[in-house]
Amino acid sequence: MDSGTVLHALNLAYELATLALTTLGLAIVFGLLGVMNMAHGEFVMMGAYAAVTVQQWGLPLITAVPLAVVVCGGLGYAVERWLIRPLYARPFDTLLATWALAMLLRKLVEAIFGRGYRNVESALTQPTLVLGSPYPVYRLALIVFTLAVMAGLFFWYRQSAAGLRVRAMTANPILAQALGIPTRRLASQAFVIGVVLAGLSGVLLAPLIRIEPGIGVDYLLDAFFVLVVGGLGTLGGLFGGVGIIGGAQAITSSIAGQTSGYAVVLMISIVFLWLKPDGLFSRR
Amino acid sequence: MAFFRDAKPAAALAAVLAGLPWASNDFTAYQIALFLVYGMAAQGVALCWGRLGFLSLGHALFFGLGAYLSGGVLRAASNEALWYLLLPLAIAAPALLAYLIARVVFARSTRSGPYFSLITLALTMLGFLAAQQWSGLTGGFNGMADIPELPGTSRYETLYWVIAACAVGSTLALSLLVARPIGVVWEAIAQNEDRLQLLGYATDRIKAMAFAGSALLTSLAGALFAAHQGIVTPQAMGFVLSTELVIWAAVGGKASALGPLLGATIVGYASAELREQLPYWEAAVATLFIGVVLFLPDGVAGLMRRGQAPRRASAGQAKPVRRPFAPAASLALAEVQTGQAGVRILDGLSLGLQGPGIRCIIGPNGAGKTSMFNLITGRLPLRGGNIRLNGHDIGGQPAWRVARQGIGRKMQVPSVFPALSVRENLGLALWAGRAHGTDLLCLATLGWQTPLLTDILGQFQALSEHLDNPAGNLAQGHRQALELAMTLLPEPGIVLLDEPCAGLSPAETHHMIQAIQSLVLRIGAAALLIEHDMSAVDALGGEVYVLHQGRLLEQGPLAQIQASPAVRAIYAGGRK
Amino acid sequence: MSLTFTNIVCGYGDTLVVRGVSGQVQAGRALAIVGRNGVGKSTLLKGLAGLLPLAQGQLIWGGRDITGSALHTRVAQGMAYTPQDNVVFAELSVAENLWLHLNDRDADRYTELFEQFPLLARRQSQRSGSLSGGERKLLAFTRTLGLRPKLALLDEPTEGVQPENIDRMAHLIRQRKRTGVSFIIVEQNLEFVSAFADDVIVLDHGEQVLQGALADLGRERIERHLVV
Repeated sequence: MDSGTVLHALNLAYELATLALTTLGLAIVFGLLGVMNMAHGEFVMMGAYAAVTVQQWGLPLITAVPLAVVVCGGLGYAVERWLIRPLYARPFDTLLATWALAMLLRKLVEAIFGRGYRNVESALTQPTLVLGSPYPVYRLALIVFTLAVMAGLFFWYRQSAAGLRVRAMTANPILAQALGIPTRRLASQAFVIGVVLAGLSGVLLAPLIRIEPGIGVDYLLDAFFVLVVGGLGTLGGLFGGVGIIGGAQAITSSIAGQTSGYAVVLMISIVFLWLKPDGLFSRR
Repeated sequence: MAFFRDAKPAAALAAVLAGLPWASNDFTAYQIALFLVYGMAAQGVALCWGRLGFLSLGHALFFGLGAYLSGGVLRAASNEALWYLLLPLAIAAPALLAYLIARVVFARSTRSGPYFSLITLALTMLGFLAAQQWSGLTGGFNGMADIPELPGTSRYETLYWVIAACAVGSTLALSLLVARPIGVVWEAIAQNEDRLQLLGYATDRIKAMAFAGSALLTSLAGALFAAHQGIVTPQAMGFVLSTELVIWAAVGGKASALGPLLGATIVGYASAELREQLPYWEAAVATLFIGVVLFLPDGVAGLMRRGQAPRRASAGQAKPVRRPFAPAASLALAEVQTGQAGVRILDGLSLGLQGPGIRCIIGPNGAGKTSMFNLITGRLPLRGGNIRLNGHDIGGQPAWRVARQGIGRKMQVPSVFPALSVRENLGLALWAGRAHGTDLLCLATLGWQTPLLTDILGQFQALSEHLDNPAGNLAQGHRQALELAMTLLPEPGIVLLDEPCAGLSPAETHHMIQAIQSLVLRIGAAALLIEHDMSAVDALGGEVYVLHQGRLLEQGPLAQIQASPAVRAIYAGGRK
Repeated sequence: MSLTFTNIVCGYGDTLVVRGVSGQVQAGRALAIVGRNGVGKSTLLKGLAGLLPLAQGQLIWGGRDITGSALHTRVAQGMAYTPQDNVVFAELSVAENLWLHLNDRDADRYTELFEQFPLLARRQSQRSGSLSGGERKLLAFTRTLGLRPKLALLDEPTEGVQPENIDRMAHLIRQRKRTGVSFIIVEQNLEFVSAFADDVIVLDHGEQVLQGALADLGRERIERHLVV
C-alpha cells in the first residue's frame, strides 16, 4: 500500500480519535445534562498540565491520571454546586458564568505556569512500522484506545440506565423525581464525570500536543460544533458529529490548508445552528 | 422637561470628558480615548443584551468591519479626496449585514436563545480567519497599516474631542431612546416576546432593527478606532475582543447607557495598565465577572442608579386603529386538524361564528379548547382544513400577523410584562396597531389615551391604583384584569378569552363577567370564552360550544346543552 | 399503612389555591377527590405528593410525619405519584419509560399489566411521545402500578383513555386494593370513580364542601357539585 495513503488514513484516524475523546465530556454535560459549559476546554487543558506537573515532580506519566481526576473532580463538584445549580433556569447566565470561569482558570494557569509552551515526554513516542510506514506508537495507541473506549461506551450505554436517567430528568425533572430519581445528586454526578473525562483526555493527549494555557478554546468550540451538528444526547450523534466535523476539517485542510479547514467547520456549524439546531441524530 | 432628565447621564459624561485633558495631559486623554471607543462598541452589545435580552458573542465582527472599511477609505482618500464621501457607507455597511443576519436567523425561530449567541461567535471567528487570509485586502496577519488621520483632526490632540463627542452622542441617543415608547417595546421583548407578538408586534423585525442599530454604533466605534490607532489588525475582529466587550458591558452595567463606557474605561484601562504589574490581575477580573453574573446582573451602574424615573407624558388622544379590514364579524374553522410531536390534538374541528356577542366554549380536559385558540393565533401548525377570518384565509400565518388582522387573545395563565409598570403594559396594548412610523420615538405617544381605556380603568379600580407599580406585583385577580384590558385595548374584532375567571373568588368572578360583557359590547367584538365555571357561563348567556376529543360535539344555548345526554355523559363519565 | 393529612394549605407563589383540606386513607381503601375544573384538586394532590411545599398542614404516613420530605424520597417510602400532564418521558420508548427508574429487570412486574393492556406490550420500542394522550395515560398508569407502591396518587388517570381500558383500570385498582394498596385519585369521571372508591372529598374553590363514604353520600348529591 502506498505509504502516503497509509499515513493520511492514520492521521485522519488520529484527528477523529482526538476529537472524540475531547468531546466525550461535553457530550455528557451538554448533551445529556443540557449545561453549556464554556469551561470544558479548560478542563482538558488542566488535564494536560497535570501531566506537566507530574513530570516536573519527576513522577511517571501515569500518576497524572489520579491527579487530574482529583483536581477536575473536586473543581467540577464545586462548580456544579455553586455556579451551575443556581443558574439552572437561566441558560444565558450559565453560558456567561462558565465563560468567566474559563477565563479565570486560564489566567490562573498562566500565572502559575507562565504563558510559554510546555512539552511532555513519553517513552512511547518512538515510531513503529504500520503497513510499511513509520508511525509514532503513542498515536497508534491513542487510536486503538479511543476505539476501545467508544466500543465500551456503546455496549455500556445500551445496558445501563444512567445516561438514560440523566437525559430523562433534564427533559422532565418533575416526573423523574416522582419516580424516585434523585435529580440533584444525579446532576452533580453527571457534571463531575463529564469534566473528569475532559481532564483525562487532556492527560492522554499531553505527550502529543504543545501545551499552553490557551489551548482550551479550540477544544471547546470543536466539541460544541460536533454536538450541534451530530445531535445531543445520543451516541450516534457523537459519532456522527465527530465524523462530519472531523472529516470535513481533515479533508479540507489537506487540500486547502489549516485555515480553510477551520473555516469549513465554522460554516457547517453556522448552517446547523441556524436550520437544524437539534443536529442530525438527536432523539427529539 | 423630560429631555433634560433623560440627558443627565450624557451631560455628566460630557462634563467629565471636557475636563479630562485639563486635569491630566494630552497623552492620557489619547489613551482614554481608545477605551471610549471600546466603550461605544460595548454600548452596542449592551443595547441588545440589556434591553432586548439577546446576547451577541461576536460583536467585534462589526467593529472590525467598520475599522477595516473606514481604514481602507481613509487610505484611498489620502490620494483622491472623493473617497471621503464613502466614509458614511463604510460605517453603515456592517449594520446592513447585521440586519440581514438577524432577519434570517430570527425568522426561523423567535427564540433568541444561546444558539443565536453561538452563531454570532462562529461568524466572528470566520471574520477573523478571513481577515488573516485575505491579506491583499486586509494586510493579513500584520494588519492594515498607515491609516491616515481623520480630515481636520490630529491623532494625538483634536481626535480626542471627536471621540468624546461621539461617546456623549451615543450615550444621549441611547438614553433618549430607552425613555421613549420604543424602549418599552424593547424591554417587553426581553420579558415576554410571545405576549408582544399576540398584540401584533413583529418582534423578529424589531429585534433585527435593534441589532442593526447596535452594529451601527459598534461599526462607528471601529471607524474611530482605525483613525485613532492608525492600524487595524485581525484582533479587531476576533473573539477575544468580542469577549472583552461582553465583560465590559456586564461589569459596567448592561441595562444602562453609561454603564458599558464605565466598564470599558475602568476595567479596560486598568487592565492595560495593571496587566503587567499584577500577575493575578486578569484572574481577578474574571472573578469579578463571575460575581457580576451571579449577584449583580445590572453591573456597577446598577448599584449607582437609584431607580429609573417612571416614563410618563401628558395625556393626549391616541391615533385611531389601522387595520386591513373593518372589525371582523365572522370567524370560521372548517375541519381543522392540528397536532404536535406526532400527537393529533384537533381532529376535524368545524366551528363558526358571526356577528358581535359573547359565546362560551366548554368541554372536559384535553378536549382541545386552548389548542383551538393556539391554532387560530398561529402557535400551532395547521395540518388540515382552513381558518377564515371575514372570508380571508389566515391559516399558517405567524402570530403577530394574525393579531394585526384583528384577533385578540387572552392566555390561560395571565401573561403580562412583569417588570414593566401597569401603565406601560397598557401602553403597549394601546400602541399596537395604532403607532406607526416614528410614533414609537415620540414622548407624546406615552400619553395616549382612548375612551375605552378610561372605561376599563373605571371598571377595574385596582388597575388605576397600581398604574406605576410593576405588573408582576399584582395579585392574580388584578393580573387577569390587566391582561383582559391589554387584550381589548387594540379593539380587535374577534376576542379569544381563555379562562378569564381562573383563580378568582366568586365576587371577583361576578365583577369580571360584568366587565367582559360591557366592554365587549362597547367595542362590538365577537368574543369566544373558555370557561369551566357554569355560573359564569349562565350569566353570560349566548351560544355555547361543547368540544370533545378535538371535535365539536354540540352547540346551542346553555339550557339545551345542560339537557343533552351526550354532554352529560362526557362530563360524568359513562358511555355515549 | 395509612396516610393522614390535616389542614392542607398550598398554592403557587403568593396565590393560595387549597385552603385547609383534611382527610385520611387506610390501607386497601381508595379516596377520590372530585370537583369542577380549577377548584384545586391537582394542587391538593401535588401538595400531598410533595411536589408543592405546604404553607400549612401536616402529612402523616405510616405513623411518620413526612410533611417536608422531598418528592424523590417518597417512592422508597412506598408512595407513587403520577402527574396530570407530561406523564411520560416523550423522547424515550415505551419500554424505557417502564424500566429506566427501576434497578432490577423483574419481568413479573408487568406480566399481568401487559395482559390487560396488550397495546403497550406490542409497542415497546415506540417513542412514547408519538402515542395518543390516552395511551400515554395508560402507560403512566401501568408504570405506577409496576412500582408496587403502598399508596398510589393518581391525577386524572383516565383522561383521554378508551372506555374498555377505563374498565380494566378500575378492575386493576379493585384488585390492588384487596392486597392492601391504597389510592388517592383526582378525577372528573364519576362513573369510573364509583367502581372502586370508598371515600370521596368534593372540593370547590379550594375548600372541602363535602366529604364522606361514597355509599353514604350517593352519586346524585356529588354529581350536583360537578356537572354542567
